[in-house]
Parts: sequence; structure tokens; C-alpha cells
Amino acid sequence: MAGFRILLAPRLEVSHRMRAATLAAGVAAGLAISALFLVLVGVPLGDLWSEVVLYTFTDPSGLDQTITRAIPLILVGLSVAVVLRVRFWNIGVEGQAWMGALATTAVSLYAIGPMPLHLPLMFAGAALAGAFWCGLCAWARLRLKADEVITTLLLNYVAYYLTQHLLYGAWRNPNDSYPTSPDFAPGETLPGIGFGHVHAGLLIALAAVGFCWWLCSASRIGLMARAIANNPVAARAVGIPVERVVLLVAMLAGALSGLAGFSLVAGTEHRLTQFIGQDYIFPSIVIAYLGRSHPLGVLVAAFAIAGLYTAGDSLKAFYQLPGAVVLTVEAMLLLTVTAFDFFLRYRVSVLRAARPAVSS
Amino acid sequence: MSTFLLDWLAAIPVFAAPFLLATTGLIINERAGVLNLGVEGIMSVGAVASVIAMLEGGSVAWAVGAAALAGVLLTALFAVLVVVLRIEQVLAGLVTFALGIGISGYVGDGYANQAIAGIDPLPARFFAWLPGPLARVADQDVLTYLALILAVVVWLVLARTEFGLRLRAVGEDAPAADAAGVDVFGMRILAVLAGGLLCGLAGAHLALASSQVWIEDMVSGRGWIAVALVTFSRWHPLRAIGAAMLFGAVEAVIPRLLSSGAHVPVYLIEMTPYLATIIVLAGSRALGKGADDQPRDLGRPFLREERR
Repeated sequence: MAGFRILLAPRLEVSHRMRAATLAAGVAAGLAISALFLVLVGVPLGDLWSEVVLYTFTDPSGLDQTITRAIPLILVGLSVAVVLRVRFWNIGVEGQAWMGALATTAVSLYAIGPMPLHLPLMFAGAALAGAFWCGLCAWARLRLKADEVITTLLLNYVAYYLTQHLLYGAWRNPNDSYPTSPDFAPGETLPGIGFGHVHAGLLIALAAVGFCWWLCSASRIGLMARAIANNPVAARAVGIPVERVVLLVAMLAGALSGLAGFSLVAGTEHRLTQFIGQDYIFPSIVIAYLGRSHPLGVLVAAFAIAGLYTAGDSLKAFYQLPGAVVLTVEAMLLLTVTAFDFFLRYRVSVLRAARPAVSS
Repeated sequence: MSTFLLDWLAAIPVFAAPFLLATTGLIINERAGVLNLGVEGIMSVGAVASVIAMLEGGSVAWAVGAAALAGVLLTALFAVLVVVLRIEQVLAGLVTFALGIGISGYVGDGYANQAIAGIDPLPARFFAWLPGPLARVADQDVLTYLALILAVVVWLVLARTEFGLRLRAVGEDAPAADAAGVDVFGMRILAVLAGGLLCGLAGAHLALASSQVWIEDMVSGRGWIAVALVTFSRWHPLRAIGAAMLFGAVEAVIPRLLSSGAHVPVYLIEMTPYLATIIVLAGSRALGKGADDQPRDLGRPFLREERR
């Protein structure tokens, strides 16, 4: 049998241009497959453009929805991205967001501190609560070698059930029968910025992008993080405090997710509700990955994914397509982008085995 | 109180079986060095496939077969991603998870909330020879017994056969296994597909035996629990039986507590399995126990050209 062998050679250096081209090709392929799928199930191609794409990103009410939805997505996307830089998987953004939401609500409910200070206290409390939740997992990995993929994941459930416990118990609004907290006072909510429902959480998210950019590219910690990502053993050998950097970055990641919870409670809902912290785990990973773990990339990706959710709502309303379509499209995007990355990492060559013809 | 206890005990296996099937499947994966975070999605397609098979006029056997096939098909995609394309396993697992949930939500849209016949417990006369309460607890459906048998079989194969030894070698030290002549690729693909089959069956059990209906998101986190249960049972199929029973017991007690009208913190009780897993995960390492149970090459892709 004339055989051939596929040879994979890891590429040592990849140019920026090639990286960008691969990412673009991956995204394009994912979008093309998704569009094809939508056309096949009965959405006319023209409508897909006018009612879905244009509405989502240019129509004022569509854009309002997209930007409002992008605020927590930017924060959780950053959360996964920064800590992925030290090879730490944060699959726990939901739990950290729940903890942030709980801290925010506690400030309002128990009237902690003077009224004018409530918003800053909520901000700080949410960041601390999220940092604590993610920091626990980092500590468990560094000290106890407990895999962070599992611990961050499980703490999502712990935070979720803690929230439900409070919402059905001590924190329940006594005035109605729904499991929600009492409404926040007017001074305890994030003000709007004069465009639809978009609130000042957007400024927090943008500031977080700027901060993470500085941190990753210009700060000492960012430099050390890069060394750790490249080679943890070598980083330790040259005297970088690996444990401390990983713990610190993980706590920052938790704080960012905690702030996502803060923005949802104080910005959008103005009270703690039952499901606000849900459906962020997979989007956060997709955003971090499509954004190449770069803060600016995360900003763009979060905006795009937020648009996908707005589009999903239109599709649901006009074509009765189930909400699962959005998740499928997200998965398809991540799938094609990661699949294209294969060619970025390996040079593939087919070897024809020049086997001498042996008669048996 | 004693009827409460008996009702509870008799309900545990039905709640435990999906956990056991999925955990056993994942143990096969992880023993071969592959971490599959896609279980939740795979169970979901398994559940929807079995319900569709039933609603389209199939028998229970067809439904179980459809679930197994759906599980294997979705897992085949995961296998291509991690074994052939060497995409990071966490990422590939999450893609599989989202695709599974998305596909089952879409495909199952027209079949949601329609009751199906499902699987009933075996005829009570099979267990008549057992003393009363025990007969009650032993009277379970065929799939639940299949879950138990599969766990034991997987343990036997992994621990007592040469094939099992090869599979574990791939998970412990892929380069060494490769040098010893084991087909690392083939072994990993086989292990991943076998695991996917069991996860599909876990979905079938959820749909056919527990709920007897398809509801979107009905797996509701059980797949993620199975991921944790693998660590909880320290990669051992027999310990997985106990672990699954424990988690099944917690799940089974909650509706009973609620209907009894007693004032209990339900959500705190629901939290305990997750906390217990974290404590076991962190505690076993802290005590130095179980630190060596994790397959050493878990999550590590293998490429001969990159041999260490």
C-alpha cells in the first residue's frame, strides 16, 4: 500500500499579519456557517442583513440594547482574559458576579455607611467579594494543587445557591411575593449616560479595559505575567514571585467579574433578582479567546457578542427561533477560530512514503 | 418517618444513575489523559435524541440507541478537536458543551414538554424473594442496573486487563506509552468515544427514567457535577458508585423535604454536594492522599514531533 504520512511541525515564530489573517478567516468562516444555517432554517438573507445586523448595530433601540448588554460582557471577558495570561482558567465568572451582586445588595439592604457613599461602597464591596471568590481558587491551586478548572466551576453553584437562599429568605422583598430584594434607593443606582438604558457602568467597563491594557503591557506585573506564561519554571528561576503574581492576577480577575455583578444590580436591575448572573460562563470564554486575551480585543469581541444576543432576540421575535441559536452561533465561532489556529501553530506537510516496492 | 426514609432510599438510584453513567464515561476519558468538559452538552443531546425517538414511535431500545449514537457523534467532534487538531482541551470541551446545548435546544424545540412513556421499574415479582423494604429499594429500571454493571465492567477492564493497562499508560505518560508501541491517538480517540457513549446514555436515563419528558436545559448542571464527581471519586469507577449515590441522595431528598412542609434551608442543602467536592478536592491534596491519583498527562496533548 502506497502510504503517506502527515507531518506536523510546530511553528516557532508567527508574524502578526499571519495571526490577524488567521483570526479573520476563523471569524469569517464561523459567521458564514452560522448565516448559512440561519438561511437554511428559513431566514431570508436580505432580512438577516437588514433586520439583524443593521438593527443590532445601527438602530438606536438595537444599539441601546447591545451596549447595555456589552457592559457586563466586557467585564467578564476581561476577567477571563487577564488571568488566562498566567495560564489560569477562570470558568467561574458567574459565581464571582453573583458574589459582587450580593455585596452590592448588602450595602443597600443594611444601609452600610452614609448614603452618598453607598455607590462607592457597593463598587468596592463587589470588587472585593469577586476577588475573594476567585482568590480562593488561586490559593487552592497554589497551596493545595487543586485544579482551578474544577474549583472555579463549582464555586459558581455555591454562589448561585447562596443567592437563592437569601432571595427566598432574609433578603426577600416583604412587599411582594417575588423572590427579589427590595428596590434600591435612587442614590444607590448607576446614573444613565443619556443614551437609552445605557448607564455609567459603561464608563467603568471602559476604564477597566484601559487599566488592564496598562497592566498587561506596561506594568511590572504584566511583564512578570508574560514571563510566567512563557515558562513558569524559568520565571521562578530568575526570581519572579510566581505564586504572588498568579494570586494577584486571579484576584484582579475576580474583582472584574464582581464588578460585572455590580453593574447588573446597580445599573440595570436596581435590585437583586433571581437570574441576573446567569449565562456568562461560555460568552466570557468566547470573548476572551476571540479577543486574543488582549483588553482591546476583548472590548471589540464583547461588543460583537452582545450584538449576537440582540440579534438572537430579533430572531426569536420574528422567526420563532429558539434562544439556543445564539449559543450555537457562539460555539460555531469559537470552533472555527480554534480550528484555524491549528494552522497557526503547526506547519502541515504531507509526506509520500518513498517505500521501495517489495514483492512479498 | 420510616416511610419517608424508605421512599427516599428507593428514589436514590434513579437520581444517582445519570451521575454514575456520566462519571464512569469521564473516568475512561481522563484515565486516557483527556479532560472532557463537554459532558453537559453530550448528556443534553442524548436526552433529546431519546425523547425524539420515543415521540416518533420508537421503542425504548431505539431511544437508548439514539441517545448513545447522538452522544458518540457529538463526542466525535470533540475527539477531532483535541486529538487531531490538538486544541486546548478546556476550550474544546466548552465548545462541545455549547454546541450540545444549542443543538438540543434547537432540535428539541418541537418536542418539548410532551410526556413520553419512558422506562418503568422492573416487575416487582423479580424482587419478591427479598425482604420487604429491600425489595422496594432493589426494584429499579433496567438502565439503572446497566449503569451499575457498566461501572463494574469499566473498573475490571481498566484495572485487570492489558487493554486497560495500555489505556492508563496513555493517560499517565503518553510519550512513554508511544515508545512502548501503544497507539496513543487510537487509544485516546477510543476512550473519548466510549466516554461519549456513556454520557449519551446518562442523558437517556434522565429523559426516559427520571423526567419522561424533554424540557430545554433539563440536564441543568448535572454534567458539570459529573466532572467534579470524577475528582471526588479519585478516578476510580467503584468509588464513583458511592459518589453518585451520595449526590443522588441529596438530589432525591430535596423534593421530599419540600413536600413534607418542613422548614429547611433547601438551597443550602443543594449547595452541599458542591462544597463537599471542593473540600475533597482540596483536602485530599492537603493530606497528601490522592495526589497521585490524577493521571499525570491529563489535559496534555501528545505529538510525537514534540517529544519531550
